[in-house]
Amino acid sequence: MARRLGLVLVVHAFWSPGRGPVLWAEDGERPATTSRRSLRSARPHPYAVPASQLAGIHPGKQTSVTLLLPSRASGPVESPELVRASPSGRRSGQVSLQPWTVPAVVVDPAELGDPAEDVRYGRSVAHLRTLLEFADDLAARGRVLPTVRPGPEARWRPVVQGLDAVARRALVDALPPIGRAEQRRAGDVLGHGPEPLVDAALDSLVDAAVRERLGRADEPVALVPPRAGRAPRSLPATEAWLAALNSPDPRFEAADRELAALADTLEPWDAITTEETGPARATFRLREIDTLHDPADPGDDPLDQTGDGTRWVLEFQLQSTEDPSLIVPADDVWSGRADRLIASAQELLLAELGRAALVYPGLTAALRQARPEELDLEVEDTHHFLTEDAARLLAAGFGVQLPAGWNGRKPLGLKLSVSSPGAPGVVTRGGLGREELARFRWTMAAGEDELDEEEIAALVAAKARLVRIRGQWVSVDQTALARGLEFLRRQNARRAPTVAETLAVAQGALDTPLPVTAVAAEGWVGDLLRGTADRTLEPLDPPESFRATLRPYQKRGLSWLSFLANLGLGACLADDMGLGKTIQLLALEATEREPADSTVGPTLILCPMSLVGTWQREAARFAPHLRVHAHHGPTRERGAHLRERLAHTDIVVTTYGTAARDIEDLESHAWHRLVLDEAQAIKNANAAPSKAARRLTAGHRIALTGTPMENRLAELWSVMDFLNPGILGTPERFRQRFAVPIERHGSPEAAETLRALTRPYLLRRLKTDPTVIDDLPEKIEIRQEYRLTREQASLYRTIVDDMMERIEDSQGIQRRGNVLAAMAKLKQVCNHPAQLLHDGSPLGRRSGKVARLEELLGEILAEGDKVLLFSQFTEFASMLVPHLSARFDQEILHLHGGTPKKQRDAMVERFQSADGPSVFLLSLKAGGTGLTLTAANHVIHLDRWWNPAVEDQATDRAFRIGQQRNVQVRKFVCPGTVEERIDALIESKKALSEMVISDGEGWLTELSTGELRSVFALGADAVGDE
Amino acid sequence: MSDQPFWAAEDHPKRPLRVENGVQIHSSRGTVARTWWSRRFLAVLEELGVGGRLARGRSYARSGQIVSCEIDAGSVVALVQGTRPTPYKVRIGIPAWGKEEWGRAEQALAADAWYAATLLAGGMPTEIEELFAGLGLALFPTSQRDLTMDCTCPDATVPCKHLAAVFYLLAERFDADPFEVLALRGRDKDTLLANLRRRRGSGAAPEPEADRPVTPLGELLDSFYEAPAADLTRFAPARPAPGALLDQVSELPIAVRGRRVRDLLRPAYTHLAAD
Repeated sequence: MARRLGLVLVVHAFWSPGRGPVLWAEDGERPATTSRRSLRSARPHPYAVPASQLAGIHPGKQTSVTLLLPSRASGPVESPELVRASPSGRRSGQVSLQPWTVPAVVVDPAELGDPAEDVRYGRSVAHLRTLLEFADDLAARGRVLPTVRPGPEARWRPVVQGLDAVARRALVDALPPIGRAEQRRAGDVLGHGPEPLVDAALDSLVDAAVRERLGRADEPVALVPPRAGRAPRSLPATEAWLAALNSPDPRFEAADRELAALADTLEPWDAITTEETGPARATFRLREIDTLHDPADPGDDPLDQTGDGTRWVLEFQLQSTEDPSLIVPADDVWSGRADRLIASAQELLLAELGRAALVYPGLTAALRQARPEELDLEVEDTHHFLTEDAARLLAAGFGVQLPAGWNGRKPLGLKLSVSSPGAPGVVTRGGLGREELARFRWTMAAGEDELDEEEIAALVAAKARLVRIRGQWVSVDQTALARGLEFLRRQNARRAPTVAETLAVAQGALDTPLPVTAVAAEGWVGDLLRGTADRTLEPLDPPESFRATLRPYQKRGLSWLSFLANLGLGACLADDMGLGKTIQLLALEATEREPADSTVGPTLILCPMSLVGTWQREAARFAPHLRVHAHHGPTRERGAHLRERLAHTDIVVTTYGTAARDIEDLESHAWHRLVLDEAQAIKNANAAPSKAARRLTAGHRIALTGTPMENRLAELWSVMDFLNPGILGTPERFRQRFAVPIERHGSPEAAETLRALTRPYLLRRLKTDPTVIDDLPEKIEIRQEYRLTREQASLYRTIVDDMMERIEDSQGIQRRGNVLAAMAKLKQVCNHPAQLLHDGSPLGRRSGKVARLEELLGEILAEGDKVLLFSQFTEFASMLVPHLSARFDQEILHLHGGTPKKQRDAMVERFQSADGPSVFLLSLKAGGTGLTLTAANHVIHLDRWWNPAVEDQATDRAFRIGQQRNVQVRKFVCPGTVEERIDALIESKKALSEMVISDGEGWLTELSTGELRSVFALGADAVGDE
Repeated sequence: MSDQPFWAAEDHPKRPLRVENGVQIHSSRGTVARTWWSRRFLAVLEELGVGGRLARGRSYARSGQIVSCEIDAGSVVALVQGTRPTPYKVRIGIPAWGKEEWGRAEQALAADAWYAATLLAGGMPTEIEELFAGLGLALFPTSQRDLTMDCTCPDATVPCKHLAAVFYLLAERFDADPFEVLALRGRDKDTLLANLRRRRGSGAAPEPEADRPVTPLGELLDSFYEAPAADLTRFAPARPAPGALLDQVSELPIAVRGRRVRDLLRPAYTHLAAD
C-alpha cells in the first residue's frame, strides 16, 4: 500500500469561501481518460481519489466539488507532480478549460501543516500552508482587530499594513491557478479572483488562529469583567460580543438596535484596513556589481574598475522611517509600485535626492535624466564616498548602506601571533620565566586575515586608495602603510615580547602606527587570553605537608594561581562563597614554601576584622608548618619589633583598618605577596583601605572576593587596577569606555570587550555549577509569612501617614533621608512595637513576627537542629536574646559589630561543636561575611535587607563547604506590608537586571512619592486574628 | 518697530487702518528677496526704474497691511488695506504660458530629474532660465510689457506702494517655495508634479487593488499547477510589543462595567504573543 501511495497520489488544495481548506487528489493508477463526452455539464474526474480514501489520509468532511481544469477531450491534463506507474501514450489534441466533478475532503486548517509521508503535494498545498502561517504570524504579532459580522458573529480580522501588505501581495501573486479553479456557479469559466480568494482565506484563518492562540492559554483569557450580581436573561450586546470573541462559537445574540449601535461604534476600527503609507528617507547603497562584460571577448573591459570584472555604483532607495526594514529601490519608485507603501514616493525621492545633492554635489551627475536610479562611481570616487561623502550624508539624515566588509571591522592593521612552548600544564613551580614566548611574529593583516608578501607588495604598489584583498576592500593610506611596514621590520628584529607585553598588545595598550586588528595566541598564552587557563592547566597537588585534600576544582584554582604568580600577573579569585578561596590561597602559599628552607618572604593578607581569626584557624588546621602572625589589636608590634617578627613569618594577617593606620611600617617592607580578602573592601578607590593597599609593594597580588564583580563596574576597576595597575586605563577612560555604555545603555559590545580584557586575570566558579561541585547539599528557600498584631498595625498606619507627609514636603537629600527613615521605622514595627517605641517594655505577645519565630524555633530545637538568626537591628537582637533564652531555657549566642574578636572566635567554635548552643543570633553586617557556621542547617532572616546579595552572603555562612545537610532558609514576610511589596519589587528587579540593585537601600529613595505610597500602604491582609 | 511707519509722516497725514490677521511678511529686517530667483523677479522692477519706490511697499508689507494674496495662473490678486475703509484691490498680471508651451516645458523638466529634485528640495537651478530660453520661454518678466499692474487706490504713481507691497510679499513666497514662480506662469505645484510624473512614463497614481483584472483561468492553461513560491521571510517584520495595534487605534466609547473595551481586549493581545 505504501508503495502505491508513495508513487501515485498527488494532493492538491484550494480555499473554498464559506467552507475552508478543501483537499483533493490525483491517482496515477486510475485510468487517465473517461469515455464520457459531454461538454455541457461537469463530468466525473476519471482519476481523482475517492473522498473516503483521501479522508483516510487527511480526515475531514467528504464532499464533491466542481473544478475547472485544463483538459483534452478525453480527460483532464495531469498535474506535473503526477507520476504514472505505467506511462500512457502521448496525448494530443487541443487543451481547454472544462469542468469536472471531483471528490474532495474539507479539512481543518491544521491538516495543512501535517503532511502524510507517502503522498506528494502540489504547489497549491504549499501555498495554502504559507497562507496559514502568515495568518498565524499576524495573530501572534497582534495585527488583528475584532469586528462584528452578519449572523451576528464576533470575528477577528487581519490588519494588513506596511510589510504585511507586501507579503499579502506576494501571496496573491503566488497563488497557482489550480488554487482558484473551483467553479463558482454553472457556466463560470473565470474562476475565483486571486485577491478576494486570498483575502477570504486570510480573514477566516486569522480568526481561527486568534481563537486557537487564546485557547492555548493556561487559564481562560477573560475579556468580560466579572459580574457582581446575577446575570440578566439577555446580555448587553457589547458583553455578548466580547464573550464570543473568545469562545469556540463566534455567534452571539443581541437585539437589533443594540447590534446596530455596536456596529456603528466599531466603525472607526473597521475603517483601519490595508496599508497606510508613511514617510520615508533616501538611502544610498554602495554596491560592487558585475560589468557583464563578455569574458569571451578578448578586448579590454572599459567598465572594469576593479580588475575583477566589477564596477561600483551607488544605488538610490527609499526607506520607510516608520518601518526601517521597508526599503524600496528607485526603479520601484519610478514604476509607481512604491506608492502603495510610501506616500508620493516619486516626489519624496526627488526631494531627497535634491537635498542630498547639496551635501554630496557628486550626486548631481546622476540626476540629469528622467528616472535616476544610481550613480556610477570611479574607484577614486568610491574611496572619496567611503571616507567623506558617506559620513556627510549620514550626518544630513540620509541612510547609507555599505557592502559587506565595509562596516569597519576589517581595516588594514597589524596582527601579532605568539605561541608558547611546551604543552599546557607543564607549568609548575617557578618553571616559567618571563622571556619564554619564543615564537612570535608581527604581520600585516586585513582584520583577522594575515597578508602574505605578495599581497603586501600589491598594497605598496597600489595607485588607487581602495585595494581588494581576499575579497575584502581595504582602504590604503600609503603613509600609514609605510610606517606599518617599518614597525614590522623593527618589531620582528626585537626580542620576543613577554606575556605581560602580549596581554598589553591584546588589550590595545601598545602604540602602533596601524591598529592591532588581531592577536593570535597558541598554547597556554592563548588559554590565558581566552580565560580557559584553569581548565587546560594540569591540576596542581599541594605538598604533602598540606593537611587537606583539595577538590578537583580547588586543584585547578591552585594551579591557576600559581601560573599567574609565575607570570607576575595579578589574579582575582572570585569563586562563590563557600567554595574555599581561603584554602586555595593557603595551598598556594604552602606550595611556594616547599621545601621548607626556601627563602620566600612573608605574604601580607588584608581582611575584615571578623576574618582574622578564620585565617589563623584555617592556616593552623591545614598548613600548620606555615608561620602565621596576626598583626592586629592594641598590643601589635611596630617598627623594629615588627621587622624582627617578619623575618620569621610566612603569613601576616591584618585588617584593612590596621593596614591603613600602620601603613608607614608595612610599606617599608617588600612583601612576597599581597592578598586582599573580601576585596570588595577596596571598591572605593579613594577610601583609606584602597589607598593603603596601593601603597604596599609586593612581588605578586591576589584579590579574593565572592561577589560577582562584573555587575559592579567601579569595584571591578578598582580591584583590577590594584592587581595589574593601568590595565583598565584611568577611571575617567574606564567610565567613558565601559561604565557609561554598559550601565546606562546596556551595550553588549562594551560588556564583551570588558569581559575579554579581564578574563585572563579572573577565575570565578559558581557553587551552582554542577561541573565544579556535585556534593554540596541543597539550599531550600522558604518565605515565612506571619501577621501583624493590632498594636503593630495601628502603629504601622500612623508611621505611614506621618512619614508620607514628610516625604511629600521634602526634597533631595532630605527626602532620601525621610524615605530611609520611614523604611527603618516600618521594619522596626514589623519586628516588634517595643523596638519602635524604644520603651523597654516587655515583649509579651505583642509581635506577630516574634510569636511565629517562637513556634519555628520550637520545631527546630525539637529536631535537635541548629539555627542562625540574622537581624540588621542590634536593638532588636538585644531584646530577643533574653526573651528567647528564657522561653527555651537555653543559651543564645549573640554576635554583633561590637563583639571583640576573641569572643567572636570562641562563639564560632562553640557553635560549631556538637554540644554547643543551638541558636546563634547575628547582626547581618557583622556576621554576614567570612564566618563558617556549617553546624547550622536553618537560617532565618528576621527582617529584610532589601538587597538579595547581602542576604545571600549571610545565608552562605551555613550553606558552604562542610555542610552535609540541606539548608532551610526562611525570610520573614508579612503580607500587605512594605516587607511583601519590596520582596516582590526585588524579585521583579532581579529578573530585570542584576545590575539595578547595588549595595544599599539607596535605590528605594529613587521611587516616586506615588510609588512609595503604594509600597508603604498597609493591606487588609496584614493583620491577623488575635 | 515703531507705531508710526517712517513714510506716514512725509506722505500721508493719516495712518493706514490696522489689519487684523493680515498676511504678515516674515522677514522683519534685512533683505526680503533672499534667493536668486526672487531677486531676479524683482530685478525687472529695478530695470523699469521703479526700484526706489519699492522701499515704501516693503514697510507696508512688513506692517502686515496685505489682507489677502492669491497667486494664480498669470496673475496675482491681493487686497491691501490703505487709509480708506475698503481695502484696495491690487492685481499684477504676467502672461501665463499656454498649453503647448507648458507641454514643452514639462517635457524638458521631466527629462532631467535634477530640476524637479532641486525644486522639491526648495531650490531652483540657475540653469532653468537657459533651459526655458532654449524652448523660447522666459520664466521671469523681461520688460514692462510683460507686467500689468493695477491698484484701486487713488495714487497715480505706478507702481504705488500697495503694488510694491505685493511685489515684496511675492518675493517672500518665491523664496519659500520656488514652485510659486512656475505657478504664476500657469502650473500650480500639484498639477506640475502630476504632469511630470506622467511624462516620466511611470503611470499615474497606483491602481486600486480591487480593480486589478482577474486573468481568466482559460488563459493560464500552460502553468495551471505552477506559481512562484511565496517567500514571506523576505518581509518578516519585527515583533512589536503585544497590543501595539491597540495603542494605535482610537478608544471606543463603549465599556463594560466601567472598563473600556480597549483595556478589556488588552489581555487577549498579550496572550496572542505568547509562544
